[in-house]
Amino acid sequence: MDPGFYLQLLLNGIVIGCIYALIAMGLSLIFGVLEIVNFAHGEFYMLGAMLAYFLTMNLRLGYAATVLVVTVSAVCLGYVLYEALLVSVQGGGFERSILLTLGLSMVLQNGAVFLFTTTPRMIQTQQSYANVAVGDLRVSLMRVLALALAILAFAALYLILYRTRMGKAMRGVAQSREAALMVGIDPRAVSRLAVAIGIGLSGLAGAALAPVYAVHPLMGASFVFKAFAIIILGGLGNIAGAAIAALGLGVLESVMGGFLPVVMVDALVFSSMIAMLLVRPQGLFGRGVRV
Amino acid sequence: MRSGPTRILLVLLALAALFAIPRLTGNEYLLALGVSFAMFSVLAGGLNLVYGYTGLLSFAQVGFFGIGGYTAALLVTEQGWPLWSAAAAGGALAALVGLVIGYSSLRLSRHAFAIVSLSFALLCMIVARDWVSLTRGAMGIPGLPVPTLALFGREWRLSRPADFYYLLLSFATAAHALMYLVVSSRLGRAMRAIRLNEPLAQSQGIDPLRYKLLALALSALLAGMVGGLFVFYLTIVDPSIFDFYYTETMLIMVILGGPGSFWGVLASSAALAALPDLLRFTTDLRMVLYGAILIAAMLLFPGGVAGWVQRRRLQNWRRPRVNAS
Amino acid sequence: MTALLEVRGLTKHYLGLTAVDRVDFDVEPGAVVGLIGPNGSGKSTIVDCLSGFQPADGGRWRLDGRELTDLPAHRIARAGLTRTFQTVRAYDELTLLDNLRVAAQEEDGVGWLAALLRTGRLRSVEAAAEARSRELLETVGLGEYAQAPAAVLSYGQRKLLAIAAAMMARPRLVLLDEPVAGVNPTMIRRVERVIAQLNAEGATLVIVEHNVDFIMSLCRRVIVLEEGQKIADGPPGLVRSDPRVLAAYLGQRRAAELGHGRA
Repeated sequence: MDPGFYLQLLLNGIVIGCIYALIAMGLSLIFGVLEIVNFAHGEFYMLGAMLAYFLTMNLRLGYAATVLVVTVSAVCLGYVLYEALLVSVQGGGFERSILLTLGLSMVLQNGAVFLFTTTPRMIQTQQSYANVAVGDLRVSLMRVLALALAILAFAALYLILYRTRMGKAMRGVAQSREAALMVGIDPRAVSRLAVAIGIGLSGLAGAALAPVYAVHPLMGASFVFKAFAIIILGGLGNIAGAAIAALGLGVLESVMGGFLPVVMVDALVFSSMIAMLLVRPQGLFGRGVRV
Repeated sequence: MRSGPTRILLVLLALAALFAIPRLTGNEYLLALGVSFAMFSVLAGGLNLVYGYTGLLSFAQVGFFGIGGYTAALLVTEQGWPLWSAAAAGGALAALVGLVIGYSSLRLSRHAFAIVSLSFALLCMIVARDWVSLTRGAMGIPGLPVPTLALFGREWRLSRPADFYYLLLSFATAAHALMYLVVSSRLGRAMRAIRLNEPLAQSQGIDPLRYKLLALALSALLAGMVGGLFVFYLTIVDPSIFDFYYTETMLIMVILGGPGSFWGVLASSAALAALPDLLRFTTDLRMVLYGAILIAAMLLFPGGVAGWVQRRRLQNWRRPRVNAS
Repeated sequence: MTALLEVRGLTKHYLGLTAVDRVDFDVEPGAVVGLIGPNGSGKSTIVDCLSGFQPADGGRWRLDGRELTDLPAHRIARAGLTRTFQTVRAYDELTLLDNLRVAAQEEDGVGWLAALLRTGRLRSVEAAAEARSRELLETVGLGEYAQAPAAVLSYGQRKLLAIAAAMMARPRLVLLDEPVAGVNPTMIRRVERVIAQLNAEGATLVIVEHNVDFIMSLCRRVIVLEEGQKIADGPPGLVRSDPRVLAAYLGQRRAAELGHGRA
C-alpha cells in the first residue's frame, strides 16, 4: 500500500490520458465538423510515431525538432487527406466515409507492416532513461515532455477554437451546419482546417509517445477503437467531453492496470461504451453536435 | 438479364461442377480454396442482407461467426453433441445475440449502430481471450475431434479435406437458397425499400425495425452455423476467429459485388476467395490491395459491379424516346 | 354523418415557437379539403404530426373513430392514413411497378411465412396488386414507364408516382404535401385531373399547398392557417373574401412591397 506506487500509477495515467485526449479530440473534431468517423485516425498516430523514430534514430534530430517536423507534417497530411479523399465523400452518406477511411486504414496499416514488419522498435537516445524527480518519485523525462506537449496542444486548440474566426466557425458548423451555411461560413475551408488539426493532433500524439512506448505498425489499431469509445462516452462531437473522458480512461487504465490484467479494463471500456449508447446516447456530457 | 429457367440451369451446372471437383482432382489446395469460398460466401451473403439490402452498416458479423464457432466446439467437446446440432445451436445462439443487440441499438442513429456493432465484435474478441474459464483463453480449444455426421442412415467420418469441402459447400448452397428465398420475396423488397427510402417505407406501413431485426437475425444464424462447421475444419477455435481480417474481407466482397446484389456478392466471394492465393500475395499486400479497392470503390463506384450494371440499365431507359409523354 | 378524420387541439412546438396552435378540424368522407396559409403557418407540420412523422405536443386525432394519436408512422399508414412528401420520395432503383407493389404489401394480410413459401394466397394477392398498380399508373399517365426504374422520371412525374403510391393500399384518407410545388403548369393541370379522378372514385384527400389558385379551383372546402392557428374554414368563395385571410396574405405582400421583413 505504498502511496508512492499509486502516485506513480496516477501520473502515468495522466500522461497516457492526455495522449488519448489528443487523439480523441482530433477524432471528435473531425466528426463534429464533417460528420465523418475517421477509421484511419489511429494510423496517423502510428505514422507520427514512426516518423519520429526515423527522425530521431536515423537522422539524429533532437526532440524539439522531431516533434515540430512530425506535427507540421501531420497537419499537411491532414490537408492532403481532406482534399484528396474526404471532400468527395463528405455528405454522401456516412457509410461511404466509414468504408473509405476503413480502406485507408487497411492500406496504411498493412502497408506499414509490409514495409517495416511488426517488430517493435524503441527510440533509444541519451534522454530515454533520464528521470525527473517529483518529490520522492522518479518520472521519466520523456513522459514529462509528453505531458508538456499535450498541455501545449490543448492550450493551442483552445485558443484556435475560441479565439480565432476559423475556430468559431468550426464550432458553429459542429453545432448546426445549416445555420453556419446561412451565416456564410465556407464549409470547405472549415472542414479542411478541422481535418488538418485533427490529424495534426494525432501525429503530435505519436511523436510524444514514441519515446515512451514501443513503436510498431499496429500501435494505432488499438488506440482507434478506444478513441471511439472515448468520443461516445464523452458525447459525439463534444470535444471537451472527449478530453475529459480520455483523461479519465487513461487514469483508470493505469490505476486498475496496477492490480488487474489490462485486458479486463479493455472489456470494461467497451462494455461501458455499449451501455452508454443504449442508455444515454448523448454521452456523459451531451452532444456538441446538433441532434 | 438472364431469364429464370436459364439462370436455374446455370446455377445447377455450376453446382454440379463444384461438387465434382474432389472427384476430378485430389489437389488439397484447391479443396481448401473451396472451403474458404463456401465459408466466406455465407459471411458475405449475410452482410449483404444486412447492409446491401436493408442498409445497415454492421461490423457484427464476425462476432456471430465466432460465437457459433465457440458454441459448437464447446458443445461437442464438453457435452458430446453431434456436429449438426452443435452447429445449429451455435447459429441459434448467435441469432439470439443478434436480436438482443439489434433490438436495443437499432433505435440509435446509424453512426451509433455501426459503432455498437464494432464494439460488439471487439468485445467478443476480448471475452474469448480473457474469460478463460469459458473459452480457454488465448490458446483456445485445440484438437477438435474429427466430427461424424449421421446422414442417409450412415455415419460419415469427416476426416479428409474433401469431406469438409462437401460439407461446407452443401451448407453454403442451403444457406444461399434460404437467403435467395428471402431476398426475392416481398421481404427482400421491403428491406430494399427501407434502405432506399426509410421514411417512404414507413409511410407505406412498413415497420423498419421488424425487417432490420429479420436481416440481422438471419445473417447471424447463418454466420453462426457456418462458424460452427468451420472450426472443425480448422480443428481449433481460438480468439483469432474474431479477427478483423474476416470483417475486412467480407466487406470487400460485398462492396465489390455490389451491395444489394445477390449474384454480384456471390460472384465476388468466389473471385476474392480464389484470387489472392492464385496471385500468391502475402496477407499484408492483399490487405493493402483490399484497402485501395475500398477507397476506389467509395470514390468512384459505390455500387460495385452490380451498381454499374444498374446504371447501364438506367441509361438505356434514358435514351431519347420516340413518343415523349 | 360522422367525420372520417377528426382532429382536436393539435399542437406542436418547435424551438420555442408554436408551429401548430390547438387546431381543430373534421374531414368528411369523399371530401377534397385544401389546407393553405402563408409560410410558417404550420401546414406541413400538421401533415407530419397526423401521419406520425413528428410527435405532437398536444391534441388528438381519430380516423373513422380509431385513435391515431402518437402511433408510429407505419401503424398510422396501416390504419388507412397515407401521405406524400414535400421532398418527393420514391424508390429510385425500383421499377414503377415495384414502387407501387411495395406500397401495398403491408396491407394485404399476407404473413412472412406465406411470403416465403409462395403460397397460392400470396400469388393471387400479388396478381391483384399488380393489376391495381397498372391501373393506377394509367390513371396518372405513367403506364409506359411501368418497368422503368423510378430514377428516370422527371420531377413532376415523380410527384404523380407518389400520389399513385399513396393510393395503392386503398387508404381511407390521403394527405398530399405540396403536390404541385415546383411543377410546370401543364403538369399542374395533370395533377389536378388526377386528383379529381381519384376523388370521383371515392378517395378522401387533404391537400397542403402554397399554390392558392390550385387549391381554390380544386377543393370544395378550404382551411386557412396563419402562424399555427386556423383562421378560416369553408368553401373557396367565402374563404377567398374572408378579411382575416386577406390580411394574412396581403399583409405579407404589402410588407414585402414596402420593403419590410426578411426576404
